[in-house]
Amino acid sequence: MNLHVIGCSHHQSSVSVREKLSFTPDQVTTFLNKFHSTFPLSEAVLISTCNRTELYAAGKTLEGVPTSEQMIDFLASERGLESGDISSNLFAHRNQEAISHLFRVAASLDSMVIGEAQILSQVKQAYQLAVDTGHQIPLTHQVFQTAMKVAKRVATETDIHANRISVPSVAVNVLTGEIFERLDNKRILILGAGEMAEETLTYLAAKDGKDIVVVNRTRSKAESLAEKFNGQVADWDDLGQQVAAADLIVSTTSANEPVVTTAMFKEVTGSGRQQPLLVLDLAIPRDFDSKIGELPNVFLYTLDDLQKQCEKNRKSRQSQWPKAEKIILQETTNFFQDVHRRNSGQTIAQLKQQANTAKDAELERLLNRLNLSPEEEAVVEQSFHRLVNKILHPPLKSINADKGGDSGGLLDAMKRLFQLGD
Amino acid sequence: MDWLQKISITCFVASYLVVFALEVSRMFFQTKLRTIVRLGLTAAGLFAHTVFIAYHTQSSVGSDGIWLGSWLGWGLAVAWLLAASYLWLTVQKPKSLIGLFLLPVTLLLISVSTAFGDPGSFSTGRARTIWNLIHGSALLLGTVTVALGFVFGAMYLINARRLKLKQPGWFKLPSLEWLQRSAERSLAISTIFFGCGLASGIALVMVKKSTEIGTPSIPWGDPVIWSSAVLFLWLLATTVFSVVYKPARQGKKIAWLVTVSFLFLLVELMIVLQFGHATPIAEVASALQTESLLCIGGTA
Repeated sequence: MNLHVIGCSHHQSSVSVREKLSFTPDQVTTFLNKFHSTFPLSEAVLISTCNRTELYAAGKTLEGVPTSEQMIDFLASERGLESGDISSNLFAHRNQEAISHLFRVAASLDSMVIGEAQILSQVKQAYQLAVDTGHQIPLTHQVFQTAMKVAKRVATETDIHANRISVPSVAVNVLTGEIFERLDNKRILILGAGEMAEETLTYLAAKDGKDIVVVNRTRSKAESLAEKFNGQVADWDDLGQQVAAADLIVSTTSANEPVVTTAMFKEVTGSGRQQPLLVLDLAIPRDFDSKIGELPNVFLYTLDDLQKQCEKNRKSRQSQWPKAEKIILQETTNFFQDVHRRNSGQTIAQLKQQANTAKDAELERLLNRLNLSPEEEAVVEQSFHRLVNKILHPPLKSINADKGGDSGGLLDAMKRLFQLGD
Repeated sequence: MDWLQKISITCFVASYLVVFALEVSRMFFQTKLRTIVRLGLTAAGLFAHTVFIAYHTQSSVGSDGIWLGSWLGWGLAVAWLLAASYLWLTVQKPKSLIGLFLLPVTLLLISVSTAFGDPGSFSTGRARTIWNLIHGSALLLGTVTVALGFVFGAMYLINARRLKLKQPGWFKLPSLEWLQRSAERSLAISTIFFGCGLASGIALVMVKKSTEIGTPSIPWGDPVIWSSAVLFLWLLATTVFSVVYKPARQGKKIAWLVTVSFLFLLVELMIVLQFGHATPIAEVASALQTESLLCIGGTA
């Protein structure tokens, strides 16, 4: 198998370059069809996300797969660019390096946020788009299926996905679990209706948060957000009442001064809360007066408090890196050994068949010329058989002993030497 | 069977100690193998614990004193229930370090029982009466629920404290909501058990006195009797208080109430130790007093 990959990612390319090389799903399909027309002997898969664009090409023979330069030219021309403009921003890998790279990408070791789960579904989607073009892709099928298996193995055997690292996900997944047993019976109050509020609500909804109330100065925005999560909307004037009724408050407004002061909080909560209240103040400047956090049964967390936890989790993920890399190395080696075993099995069978055909023809010719008894014929036959086996033994032993490295040279040499087809 | 005799307290204490060490190590690093080892060792410890209790109880049947009614037997039975609770809670809350709090209480109880163990306090005949059975079982279960309540309360206070200090995540504990609910329940359940224990104890004394002298009366002057009554009244008052008075339902207050209840229980057990087993039965002034003192320490 010959596999090449070229592409760009957040590691070596700026956003402006990545934007120029990004594809929508429809564009990917068109691109792959054109690629197959240009390089009919090659299979192709294109991964395009906001952080990377990668083109994988695979073929049975080296001649069938375009070179890295050809792939870069093709990619550039499809995006209306000159190769020279982008080539310095692109990477190129072949065979073992390419496989290892794909495994690392699928396992989210190459992601901007290490351990993020989205990349695996993006890799799956890219593979599916290639399948949907209708072209046969047996080699890339094998590679991508293994990549998904490797990603799952990394996820299972390491804690690389274990700790959340974005502020809303840490806020919801770490803190709510420390205070509440379940969220479906908790009143969730969202102050503000921006992106942070929406992201936090996504995590809350995933944890079964149902009783959601959105309060925003611009009511229409609150309605729009509430509608997405089957929540309710309350007037800004009812803020105090809503704060008193809430179990969990997520505050994300862009107000310049605290929207909930200590005096207001004390006034609406009266003699104190019986049940814990978690306040996630994700706004800058802060929406809640910091003294509210000192009141009994109130747990107030600001953006700064959560950033510390995020940083800690990032470090925790990084500590899992060597373990994950070990799995990638192991799986890459296993993959090439499997490929080699399959290929060598086929070559060995071809070689044996070729030798036996020649042996049988020569034997038949010889036996026709000699008038031998059946016993004598059997002795000659055995002798021919042993001779063929002895001749084939050293090359077959060498093929079996070969671990199938990057070049696969021995197998190719054998095929050329004995003129065996693919 | 010979092998039953060979199981000693050291067997299950060693298991629980290793499990406790494994629990402590969970604060510093994570490994899946440890969970299997921890559960396996707890189960093995419980098995040895069960065999030990069953063997000694069975052996004492037919003799003058029933082993389970002794301090040692009673303490080990409470410890067995706590260890079983740990196993159950570990399965329910696999990520939480419940053993960090529950196992020390269990081990402490085994140590105290072993140190003050005094087998053979009850006569088999008395231990087999229905009132003794109710009395002993209720006090046993009451003690277990108060101890569990204390563990839940302690975990609540620690978890609430570190959440206030904004230091979550170092080690996992159950949610505040779960801890508060569990502490509340243990408070209510222990009140019921101690109520049953006290009532059946009083009934025991009255039945016995009535049989002996024809006049049923309760020896309120006995330290064990009045301290048991005080413990029960405390539990009853805190339960009623937390139901009727809303501010008392705050998790932190509940946690302190169950902690104080546990301290009350310790005082009560010390009184029983002091006035019960420390005083030879023959020296106790009346049969009535003897009856009540022994009942507090017994289960059968």
